[in-house]
Amino acid sequence: MGRSRIEIEEEHLASMQDRTGPYGEGPLLSWIKQFAPYGVITLNEAFQVETWNHWMEIHSSRRSEEVIGKDFFELYSEVRERKLAAHFERALSGEACVLSSALHHYVLALPCTFREPGMPHMLQTTRIAPLFEKGRVCGVVVIIEDVSQRESQAEALRRQQRRDEILSWALAHLLKAEEPRKTVRQLFFKIAQHLDFDSFSLYLRDAETGILHLFTAGGLPTGSEKDFAQCPFSSLSDSKSPEMLVLDSVQDRSEPEYAILKRAGVSAAVAVPLVSNDRNLGLLSFATWSRPTIAAGEPDLLTTISQYLATALDRENTSRQLRQAKEQLADHARLLEKTVQERTSQLRETVSELETFTYTLAHDLKAPIRGITGYCNLLLEELAEELSPGVNRIVKRLSRTSRNMETLVNDLLAFSRVSQQQVVLSRLEVEPIIDHLLAMRMPELKRAVTVEKPLHSVVANQELLHQVLANLIDNAFKFVQPQTSPKIIIRSELVQHGSPSTRSGKLVFSSVETKQPCGDLPVATTNQQVRIWVIDEGIGISPELHRKIFGIFERGVTSQQYEGTGMGLAIVSRAMQRMGGTCGVESESGKGSRFWIVLPAG
Amino acid sequence: MELTASQTDALTELINIGYARAAAALSELTGHRISLEVPEVAVHQRPEIAESLQRVVQGDVVSVNQVFSGPINGNALLLLDRGAAMLLNQLLTDRSGRPELDGAAREVITEVGNIVLNACLGAFGNLLKVQVSFTVPSLQIESVQRVISSITVAGSELEYALIIHTRFHVRASDVSGYLVIILGVTSLETLLLELQKWEDRELK
Repeated sequence: MGRSRIEIEEEHLASMQDRTGPYGEGPLLSWIKQFAPYGVITLNEAFQVETWNHWMEIHSSRRSEEVIGKDFFELYSEVRERKLAAHFERALSGEACVLSSALHHYVLALPCTFREPGMPHMLQTTRIAPLFEKGRVCGVVVIIEDVSQRESQAEALRRQQRRDEILSWALAHLLKAEEPRKTVRQLFFKIAQHLDFDSFSLYLRDAETGILHLFTAGGLPTGSEKDFAQCPFSSLSDSKSPEMLVLDSVQDRSEPEYAILKRAGVSAAVAVPLVSNDRNLGLLSFATWSRPTIAAGEPDLLTTISQYLATALDRENTSRQLRQAKEQLADHARLLEKTVQERTSQLRETVSELETFTYTLAHDLKAPIRGITGYCNLLLEELAEELSPGVNRIVKRLSRTSRNMETLVNDLLAFSRVSQQQVVLSRLEVEPIIDHLLAMRMPELKRAVTVEKPLHSVVANQELLHQVLANLIDNAFKFVQPQTSPKIIIRSELVQHGSPSTRSGKLVFSSVETKQPCGDLPVATTNQQVRIWVIDEGIGISPELHRKIFGIFERGVTSQQYEGTGMGLAIVSRAMQRMGGTCGVESESGKGSRFWIVLPAG
Repeated sequence: MELTASQTDALTELINIGYARAAAALSELTGHRISLEVPEVAVHQRPEIAESLQRVVQGDVVSVNQVFSGPINGNALLLLDRGAAMLLNQLLTDRSGRPELDGAAREVITEVGNIVLNACLGAFGNLLKVQVSFTVPSLQIESVQRVISSITVAGSELEYALIIHTRFHVRASDVSGYLVIILGVTSLETLLLELQKWEDRELK
């Protein structure tokens, strides 16, 4: 002892100048003594040191001159105390043995060559074997291998494996968890235990106030909870970078950053901001009350885990917001539906009131109009001579105007009746209805109409269907070019309810697509419907007017050209609506018109 | 070659004596109560050895090998299957979750093999009243076939093997291993002769 390693090395280098070796032995033994990367010791039968190689000199700081001839167990008395001497004794009876580093750590207490905390001695694997001379055992050879570095690396590898396990476990856990907030405690307990921390605390940002609050904590010693209630890492509270803060030797610090932790008795702590998409969601910290420093490598693991956590929390927030938005939307839709129902109901009431008013008005107007017409006729027939030609002309105009007015009021009354009357639906044959209404018409009209029999039967109201067909046929007869004889074709076809043919873009207008009929008979249970066409070769209607002509007092032509009040198609539309059917037209100006109505098949 | 019932009994008893020492040494070393059973002893000819071992040890085996020489020459091996070797290491070192047999684990198995083999061979030495010397043990991981074919005794191929099926009990766990002692013809004859003498002495 007492000599420095450098001095021993220098002497050794000097002795190497002698090629025969410093001890004068044969070349192999000389090589082993000088260069072997192992400790080589030989002992005689009395366990006195005979050989002490250069490696032993270096690592024991004892020169061979100091130890040769000495009792090995006096030099290293610990060997006997640790009951390892038996291996040396058995070597004298021919046994060879291996003493592993895992079970014994070391045989000779030599200083560690490898800077590693918690490793006070060089870890050794030692082989003890008999030495033979002329067929009998003459001593013991001890070979010491330094495995400190190997074990340290193996330990680092184990730590790495454990770390990888923790990481993959944490990742799997966070990926799987739909609501990571509920399960993070379990995760942090395991991480804290693995990294040798005593406590953890997770601070999350309140969405409304933006203030960090303690979400969950574990392992805090009694009395320190209040110190951790508020986040003690103020410098990180708004950080947008996931870099961690390591606070070592907390009790020796005087900076304000350390104050809270110091009061809580923490010896070291780490804190990592939880950052996702450039937003600081909170902060995760681990603390220890026993270790003054945080080991290198730990921060990396925590940074990675906190990134996983931030992503998981962010995802949880997003899905919660999405859920809330969906609920709000559903509420809104429900409210909207309710409002629509209320408004519709109000509107129905108003419409009903208006219809009643119209009916009453039209009904009450009939008598005075008839009075005016009557008096006009009286003037023209009984008192014609007394009237000057000027007055006579005025009275004639008055008479014509009042007749027009009467027609208008009658049509209005018809429309109101269609709107108000009780509608009873039944299965009807269409042909007799057409025959009946043609019988009431002028011969020219009868000649103009071709009915493509047979016509399908329908479910409808007799009176309303009669009205509808009469209006359509009368229109077809009326709206033709002057000096042209009208040609009208009536035919029917079966269509599927809701099938494209009833809803295609060609069907430019249908007054009401589907409406519950007001009558007693339910809507046909089958989807079969009948479309009745009334086709003419008349003046046609330009497409922009198709919708308009079904309105009240709307006309596709000017009054001067063709007589009429503009109520005919309004009555058709309303009547079809009352019967739960639809109506429409296909037409272009100058190319005839194809009016249709659709009713359930009878 | 078949052992007679009395030879089997004598060998079993002899090995039991050695095992008592090995079990004590292992218990002291690890601080756990370790017991070694000797349920079966048999002599096999070379072609039968691999076949007999492959029935019970599949895949690669961990073998601790020590050559011994003196009046009897041979090769002593402790064979463990990989799983058993890993379990034994875990039980002895309290280190769990090691995926592979690393350097430290190999040394632990080597030391355990060394203790068991020394105990067994030491018992033979004592019986024969001669000094048997051993090489330092070495550890290999390879197939049973390769282990057997790589062994030679005193420069010639082995002929007979004494196979001892050993079970370790460590902390209520069961680890099985095979102790194979390979002997040359003359060595086996010498051993059996000395065994007879020992038995006679014991009976007196």
